[in-house]
Amino acid sequence: MKDIEQFLRENAPETPDEGQFLIETNARLSAVEGIKQTVDGEHRRWRLALLVALVAGLVLGCLVTGLVLLYPVQPLQADEPFLAKAVQNLQQWLPVLVGFMVACAISLAVVLRTKKREAI
Amino acid sequence: MTRERFISEVRACQGQLRRFLASLCGDAALADDIAQEALVRAYVSSGRFIGNFKAWLFRIAYNCFIDNLRRVPAPSASMDSPEVLHITDSASSDASFRHEELRRALGLIPEKERTAIVLHYFEDLPVKDIASIMQAPAGTVKYYLSVGRDHLKQHIRL
Repeated sequence: MKDIEQFLRENAPETPDEGQFLIETNARLSAVEGIKQTVDGEHRRWRLALLVALVAGLVLGCLVTGLVLLYPVQPLQADEPFLAKAVQNLQQWLPVLVGFMVACAISLAVVLRTKKREAI
Repeated sequence: MTRERFISEVRACQGQLRRFLASLCGDAALADDIAQEALVRAYVSSGRFIGNFKAWLFRIAYNCFIDNLRRVPAPSASMDSPEVLHITDSASSDASFRHEELRRALGLIPEKERTAIVLHYFEDLPVKDIASIMQAPAGTVKYYLSVGRDHLKQHIRL
């Protein structure tokens, strides 16, 4: 038992010297550092975009709720023809629909702007 | 951990790390590639590091070695292979040959036994640290050491 243990300890390979190794390691770490910074910047931008979208959603939600409360929907008359009822319905819900479309447009604009910055 | 501190810690143990990997792979160039990969992985997760840097780095390097082994399976050598017979037939007292003989013999034993042997006898690490690196119980590491010694004895003429 001692023989093999002694043999192993006496014949341990020599430690290689630094040579080019640390220079290459430094170069790789610099590359990793660059990637880390890019990814961190991307995450920061996405967090900001999320915040902007959240604020825009809250403001528009409040506006739409206000509009709905200001212009309450009239109940439909049962004897009116179908097309007239639909047009009347659409007119009554117009502020809500416009608010919804504006909210979608703002969210889309925020997302596209963030994507465009990333592409640059 | 700052980059400067990371580099200074790496500078202190890079030689041992590369020797450990070279003993596991049997190929210095491949060992250096794995060491570089391990250092990048270590640097990326250095923010979460707590404790013994060397043991932590060796564990990452060992995991990289295992990943590499899975990607590129090593050619298996049986005990009756011509390579083994060649070793035992031409053993001499020449130091460089003994080193080569040991390298080949290490390549013939299972990877876990080789790892335990290399860490214990070449890097002089205690069983507790080896257990942490190999993520195995201390008793299992002692078993690997015992069986590994027996297997090495079959390939090396003392």
